[in-house]
Amino acid sequence: MFADLTTSIVDALGEVTYILPEIILMIAVLIAPLLYMFNKTGKAVAAVSLVLVIVSALVTFIFLDAGLEGEAFGIFQFDAFSGLMMLLFLAVAALTILISPGHVETTKHKGEYYMLLCGAVAGMMFVASASNLIAIFVGVELVSIFSYALVSLKKNDPRAAEASVKYLIIGGFSSALTLYGMSMIYGTTGSLDLYGADGIISAVQVMSGNWAFVIGCVGLIAGYGFKIAAVPFHAWAPDVYEGASTPVSGFLAVASKKMGFVVLFKIFVVMFVAAKTGVFAESFQYVFAIIAAITMTVGNVVAISQSNIKRMLAYSSIAQAGYILIALAVMSQYAVMGGLFHMFTHVVMKGGAFIIVAALISAGLGETMDDYRGLAKRAPFIAAAMMIFLFSLAGIPPLAGFTSKFILFSGAIVDPATGAVTMQWIWLAFIAVLNSAISLYYYARVVKAMYIEKGKSEEPVKVGKAFLVAIVLCLVGVIVLGVYPTPLLELCEVAADALFALV
Amino acid sequence: MDVPILSLLILIPLVGALVTLFMGGERAGKAKFVAAVFSAITLVLAVYVMTVDDLSTLTENYTWIQVGALTMNIIFAIDGLSILMVFLTALLVLLAVVFSWGEEDRPNYYHALLLAMEVGLMGVYMAQDYFLFYIMWEVTLIPMYFMISWYGGPRRHYSAIKFFIYTHVASVIMLIGIFALVFSTTYGDFSFAAVSAAAAGAPLSEAMQTFIFGLLFFGFAVKMPVPPFHTWLPDAHVEAPTAGSVLLAGVMLKMGSYGIIRVCLDDNIFNLAMANWQMVIVVLGVIAMVYGAYACIAQNDLKKMVAYSSISHMGLVLVGIGCMSVIGTEFAIFQMFAHGIISGVLFMVCGFAGHSFGTRDMRLLGGLAGKFPMFALFMMFSFMASLGLPGLMGFVAEFGLLYGFWEFLSANGLEVLIVFGPLYMMLTAGYYLWAMQKTLFGKLTDKIDLEHSHDLAKYEVVAIAVLCVFMAVFGIMPSIATDFIMPYAGIIGGLF
Repeated sequence: MFADLTTSIVDALGEVTYILPEIILMIAVLIAPLLYMFNKTGKAVAAVSLVLVIVSALVTFIFLDAGLEGEAFGIFQFDAFSGLMMLLFLAVAALTILISPGHVETTKHKGEYYMLLCGAVAGMMFVASASNLIAIFVGVELVSIFSYALVSLKKNDPRAAEASVKYLIIGGFSSALTLYGMSMIYGTTGSLDLYGADGIISAVQVMSGNWAFVIGCVGLIAGYGFKIAAVPFHAWAPDVYEGASTPVSGFLAVASKKMGFVVLFKIFVVMFVAAKTGVFAESFQYVFAIIAAITMTVGNVVAISQSNIKRMLAYSSIAQAGYILIALAVMSQYAVMGGLFHMFTHVVMKGGAFIIVAALISAGLGETMDDYRGLAKRAPFIAAAMMIFLFSLAGIPPLAGFTSKFILFSGAIVDPATGAVTMQWIWLAFIAVLNSAISLYYYARVVKAMYIEKGKSEEPVKVGKAFLVAIVLCLVGVIVLGVYPTPLLELCEVAADALFALV
Repeated sequence: MDVPILSLLILIPLVGALVTLFMGGERAGKAKFVAAVFSAITLVLAVYVMTVDDLSTLTENYTWIQVGALTMNIIFAIDGLSILMVFLTALLVLLAVVFSWGEEDRPNYYHALLLAMEVGLMGVYMAQDYFLFYIMWEVTLIPMYFMISWYGGPRRHYSAIKFFIYTHVASVIMLIGIFALVFSTTYGDFSFAAVSAAAAGAPLSEAMQTFIFGLLFFGFAVKMPVPPFHTWLPDAHVEAPTAGSVLLAGVMLKMGSYGIIRVCLDDNIFNLAMANWQMVIVVLGVIAMVYGAYACIAQNDLKKMVAYSSISHMGLVLVGIGCMSVIGTEFAIFQMFAHGIISGVLFMVCGFAGHSFGTRDMRLLGGLAGKFPMFALFMMFSFMASLGLPGLMGFVAEFGLLYGFWEFLSANGLEVLIVFGPLYMMLTAGYYLWAMQKTLFGKLTDKIDLEHSHDLAKYEVVAIAVLCVFMAVFGIMPSIATDFIMPYAGIIGGLF
């Protein structure tokens, strides 16, 4: 549909085309503080940032639709996979910006807030398209530094300061690990480029049994394990999510985590599928499988005992990361498709839940289970929406979370080569579905608090319009992706194909 | 015939559920009329379906999700196995609405939940695609959860969450079985027919069959429920409101046995596994029917007793299924239908006792026959039907099933085990007669507030009487029902 348009853009801009969506967002980064000088309410800044995010998303979608593929400056590559991931980050950015102006916790430094937000998203998009280890590292650092600042922007709250320091230290640690791992990989393979004839993937096959290379991989898994909050690298997540202002915690839980997965997909899936002839790919698959199993179990079990909703959502995010890790353990095209699809459904359901928490904090409610008692009477729509998001997270059909878990978990059973059932990962599927059932318990507890228990107050809760719009968008997403997932699933399939085509 | 009847059977209750859901405030009192109209239309359609000569002409198939190798379509069909269940669902939902005519606590939500349950139940009985089947299977859970936790008894929160988690865990294990089944046969096409055909073309190994059969059977067995996975049921029943219990016992438990007959007894898929599991099924069935009946004797709560009797009667269904013969399958299906009708009345009567007398504890009741004749009449009628009085439909089912059981035992040289049949019947007669004696006869009790107790209201009599008529009609002329079942049971049974 947009093929002609895309061709003419490529003719006009050349290589720059392939990073055009990022550049549009960088414009927002540059002009946000400037705009704030002229408009102190911050509404204009939000509006301009939102428009630029939407423009960037449109451009990405046009490129994606036209099937654009190409490389910019030798380190960025636009293809179906990176394009789809950019759309995911932009969608989260749009939702976050939409709810930020109405949120009470949002800082006085409104100009900087939107600058940091857009900068972090631009960083994620760079990561999505990077095809070089250093480009990935720099992109991740861009996101990290902007998000440390975002967490600490919440005024007058010692929890935010603590969260931010914790985040900074852990983040620095993970960066150091990553860099160390990269240096090992560079040392052994002699390349920083991931793909292509001179790239790391071509060297992988002879790396079997090379300990320096293995240490490099472990360094990367640990470093990015912090980003996705996989157990045992998860301890920072609940504190940071609890301490940060709610839109920011939502942003971190939904987008920043996905960036970690994008990196792991880009590096490990491609590298180890290429290395299938070598022996050691399988041992790394088991590493991922064990991390996945532990992550989802710890996340779900600990979530049961939480009484703060934000902390509960943080632990449930950890559990969800465990589910997505299944795709890395199985490393089949089908499982990656399921993983990508789950990343999208996670955006709408977890994002929706965080937006509701943010909306209720703005409306004067607290963030503990007690504050949610009797919510169904005080805000029937919000309670119903929250129930749908939570049931979707628990994987109750016919909602989005069910459909994506269905495909993701079935990925653990299907053998990539033949499409037949394989017994290798069936234990992982078992752990996953049982976890999914456990998770129902703590989600249902919130539903019970909202619908069945009596609250202290009967007063209706008023929620801002922007929140309602964002909630409705997520709600539509949860229902449509659950009932009619085909269009997005097809995009995920194409993206998974693109990822495997890099081998 | 262009009207998509089967879709309408799902869409009409769905629309009804949405309409009643939004009838808040002043209009909440009118919700029962809306619910009655929508469930009556559904029943009319269900009856119409029974008059269609060739049921296969009703099949509907819509494309839904097709990505890569994944094919999940919306396929609805009705055959001899599902037609009685569809009718039963439509009938019981309407009668549950009628029986709850006096419900005054948030009646709009109450009726919305009843109709939402009907959506899921209809979907389960008509779906011909594993993905759709699983979705519908789970859809029935949420309305039931709210039904118990909003309108239930004192321990409703505990019971509701126990019911929810317990059956959900079973469902997800069944889901793994579905994955394993689909991806080892069609590699991604979830339709019943495609899976069956693919398995017929390239049979699975015996180990694989046995494994998948076990996963699916576990999911279905918890729903039935089969001891030792039955503990959620008495709790759920005791706390659920009457209409909830009626649907839970009447049609939801049947989802389990329906699933076993529909999926596990597919000879194309499980030709080797069935023999391996047959003995386990029969033994579990015998344990369920004897243990359930034995547990009934120990109960003081009328409703809890009826709940355990459901376990016992569903155990009989499992025995029939385990026989894997024409007669066993035929009467297992007939017993599902019969128990649906009879347990509907049982729960209505016992639920009414709770409302009217303020207690269902048999130790506090006694001599009520003189003062509450209608209650006594229907209680006796339904208890008699349930214990298998000749002339009523419970007898036909029990007779057929025990005959099938005998056939199975004598084929395997285990004739002596038939002793469990009479044992079950004696225990059943025992607890029902004892319960009647304690509640209805003897000296009039002074332990309840007789001033404020009342006999059955008119709408309650209507709901119960309709079901009692069915018990007698099908008891005298079971062929009305077996004519539907026989072609299907013949297909299944012909395979053995």
